[in-house]
Amino acid sequence: MIRDITIGQFFPGDSFIHKLDARAKIVITVLYIIALFMCKNFFSLSLMLLFSVVCVFISRISPKLIWKSLKTIIFIVLFTSALQIIYNNRGEVLWKPFESREFAVTTGGIYSAVFLAVRIIALILLSSLLTYTTSPTMLTDALERLLSPLKVFGVKVHSLAMMMTIALRFIPTLINEIDIIMSAQKARGAKLDNGSVGERMKAMISVFIPLFVSAFRRAAELAVAMECRCYTDGASRTRLKVMKMGYRDAVAFGLLSLVIAGALFTSYYGFSSMFIFEPVM
Amino acid sequence: MTKETLIEFNNVSYSYDDEEENKRFAVKNVSFTVGRGEFIAILGHNGSGKSTIAKLCNSICIPTSGTVTVGGMDTREEENEIEVRKKVGVVFQNPDNQIVASIVEEDVAFGPENLAVDPKEIRIRVDEALEAVGMYDRRFSETHRLSGGQKQRVAIAGIIAMRPECIVLDEPTAMLDPKGRARVLKTVTSLNRELGISVVLITHFMEEAIGADRIMVINKGAVKAVGTPREIFGQPELLKGCGLELPDTAKLCEKLKLENIDIRGDILTEDEFVDEILKLTGKTE
Repeated sequence: MIRDITIGQFFPGDSFIHKLDARAKIVITVLYIIALFMCKNFFSLSLMLLFSVVCVFISRISPKLIWKSLKTIIFIVLFTSALQIIYNNRGEVLWKPFESREFAVTTGGIYSAVFLAVRIIALILLSSLLTYTTSPTMLTDALERLLSPLKVFGVKVHSLAMMMTIALRFIPTLINEIDIIMSAQKARGAKLDNGSVGERMKAMISVFIPLFVSAFRRAAELAVAMECRCYTDGASRTRLKVMKMGYRDAVAFGLLSLVIAGALFTSYYGFSSMFIFEPVM
Repeated sequence: MTKETLIEFNNVSYSYDDEEENKRFAVKNVSFTVGRGEFIAILGHNGSGKSTIAKLCNSICIPTSGTVTVGGMDTREEENEIEVRKKVGVVFQNPDNQIVASIVEEDVAFGPENLAVDPKEIRIRVDEALEAVGMYDRRFSETHRLSGGQKQRVAIAGIIAMRPECIVLDEPTAMLDPKGRARVLKTVTSLNRELGISVVLITHFMEEAIGADRIMVINKGAVKAVGTPREIFGQPELLKGCGLELPDTAKLCEKLKLENIDIRGDILTEDEFVDEILKLTGKTE
């Protein structure tokens, strides 16, 4: 179960999306998410969804992987949708459990539930595409560049980016370590799989303490290894891959602007009469 | 051998305070030199001070007394630090804790990036380093998907990309399976033979020291013996006294001698052993 986590996983390739500048990809993702929350009707929302589906298609990332990342959030989608159905009481009443309209299932409720689900799915699609097609180093490098104006306020942007690189690098290592420690503790009779919730919580302490000790040891060794490789404060570092915005990024921004413009236009002008219910969000 | 000296330890001691604030010597009055292009093996039992010697080589540790010089530079001086580390790279035991980036080629680039090398030059160095350790085909792999031996070779490539004159390896094979161990050792040997990089191999596996030009045996932080592999392995008593085990071939020779068989005492490799046995039994080809 613990191995299913795909945070920060990267799948190398040479598609159009892979070749985009990491900074462009981050900015596009952020703009996309903002636009997503400004969509008011299904027409604009499907336009946005279409954009991320096309992106996934272009990236040639296997749909299986995309499904894997969607699977982890399915619970959240279902939960929020259910809340919408229960609490949104606009429109025609389809089923009334109580005398009043409260908690009734209405067309408006179903409408906004589906609306919300599509919105979350579109959001996850594009943002998981970002990490799937960008190497962690490029991602943190790009963040470092994008955040570099903060240096004016004394923020150590490079150190933050380096910490992120290392954190992403050690996620799989530490997950593996948790597996090993859990097996070792189970072999000694720790109740990790059975017993009451309290017992299990207590047993988890026996997993996390060794994990912490080992993480500190790793950090110390890594620090020495980094010093051996002449790491100082990172002020004068160069990079293997030079970031360059190119025609691809211009094309990507152009497409995004068109889609967002289209979505916003249909949201705020003319098309709203096609839909009877205003979603709550 | 009249080779130019690269690293020189001059009467070096290194001590630290233990929990009861007693002075403990990890390394005591050690003197030796590493010549350019030389392959030295340092043999020692666990806790003999081997790792401290590795860290003293590139000013990660500063000697308590005595001096360590690299290419004439004193490691004590702070302004020499980067220059010293450019010349002498250290590879440690656990490859997992040396790899900084998630992708092989990006990790190898870490050293040159720190040295502010031009991006085009970094590309060349990374490719060369990965070729040298035989990991070029895996350059886009995620580091956590590699085997232990492959990770260790990536760690070595990360040092080679900095173009050092000497590589110090601190028990690089201790955490590897036999296959990975053999491959790492082969890589290290070829770096020395083909690229002319000096190698200091710190280990407690006797077999790994056989290919070295010189062996230094240390015990409890002090040098016990220095010599060619033949000289060192010809002194089984000395090695045992330092808590070390003889290579398998040497062990076998010793047993044969106990059976009053007149076999040479300085046999190192399996091939030599086979030849000697054939000679003794009169079945020379």
